[in-house]
Amino acid sequence: MPHHLDLYVKRESALHRLDPRAKMLAAVGFVAAVLLAPTRPPWPTGALLLLLIGAAVLARLPARLVCRRMLSLVVVIGMPFLLSRLGGEATRAAGEQFAVRSLLVAAAFLVLMASTRAVVLLEVAERLPLVSVFGQLGEFILRGADLLAEEVVRTNRAWVLRAPSATLKVRLTGLSQASMSLLARAAARSERVGAAMVLRGFQGKLPMATPTPLPWSHLLAGLLFALISLGLAGVGRWR
Amino acid sequence: MVGGASDRDALSRARELALAGLLGALGLLLPIGFHALGWGGKVFLPMHLPVVVAGFLLSPATAVTLGFVVPLLSAVLTGMPPLSPPVAPLMALELAAKAGAASVFYRVLRLPLWVALAAAFVADWAVLALAAWFVAGLFAIKAGAIQYVAAAVVISLPGTILQVIAVPLTVLAIEKRVPRLRPAKRDETG
Repeated sequence: MPHHLDLYVKRESALHRLDPRAKMLAAVGFVAAVLLAPTRPPWPTGALLLLLIGAAVLARLPARLVCRRMLSLVVVIGMPFLLSRLGGEATRAAGEQFAVRSLLVAAAFLVLMASTRAVVLLEVAERLPLVSVFGQLGEFILRGADLLAEEVVRTNRAWVLRAPSATLKVRLTGLSQASMSLLARAAARSERVGAAMVLRGFQGKLPMATPTPLPWSHLLAGLLFALISLGLAGVGRWR
Repeated sequence: MVGGASDRDALSRARELALAGLLGALGLLLPIGFHALGWGGKVFLPMHLPVVVAGFLLSPATAVTLGFVVPLLSAVLTGMPPLSPPVAPLMALELAAKAGAASVFYRVLRLPLWVALAAAFVADWAVLALAAWFVAGLFAIKAGAIQYVAAAVVISLPGTILQVIAVPLTVLAIEKRVPRLRPAKRDETG
């Protein structure tokens, strides 16, 4: 079921078809490589960027969309970077490192999330030791978000129908009042949801979907990407 | 129907999970609403509101888990707060500490709501300082964690005031609507 909130971009591509576990393995390897790779000289991080661009092209992600999503990070990354230019040599180097590492890791997450549905990532997290409980709660939150998002849309639609000429300010006031009552109603609703869960057989633990085996070819692809990234970072670091 | 002790436990766990899910969902949706109005998340801290409320209504374990999950899930679903630079992981630690402290002081130690709220803020800032110090080391940045926290506290002053007003009102309203969520008084439990 498609969810209201997701960064997924629907495309027919090899990366979209790749098992999410293999993609997560590749992403972990890539992030580790970015943290290991030196920024001076710039070629190791440049090579990692090329590798990532290759993955984005493979996923057939529109360049405009990638740029638009990366633009939201301009202030968060740009401000500390610009401030670091005012400092000495060590501060400038640290600023460069911060900007390059942040941009590469952010771009890697962007490619991962644009090619994998969030709910699938949560299902994978559910089966991992230690983070399983986070995955389960995450799925609950996702369902709750769908429920509440529909309610917000309905409330707004009702406002538009009942007061078509209402100003934006009036509609926003209505929406904020609705949000406050939503919070109180969420608590009351949880009583009913809890009772329904028990009636459906809930015994203190959420059921998990049976894991499917990870195909060898997918595992190999994820591992290869991670190893190439780590290899580039390793060569850059020890040369 | 629900009869035995294990059934009651299951019902209580199910209610807690459902409430955590819905409050977590509000933690995702409120920041979107604030951003739509052009009100900065760093200033008004909209994600903190439902998570802190959850701290007052849920057990410490669930509150900590919820506080940890919401910023990370929001990063995965909406891209904000960003996972890199590590704003979302920092917020995850911050909100886990804040919700956990609220729950421990209010539901376990049964201290007054205002005291628990103050303790939650202190826990939040302490964890933020520790996490900022760790992350600064990761990026080789030589900046003081205390200065970072001081700047964050000053910038988010409107959000802090909003929480001081809205959280107690909301918690009391919810407890009135669902009396089961009210923590038992000290003399009631011995």
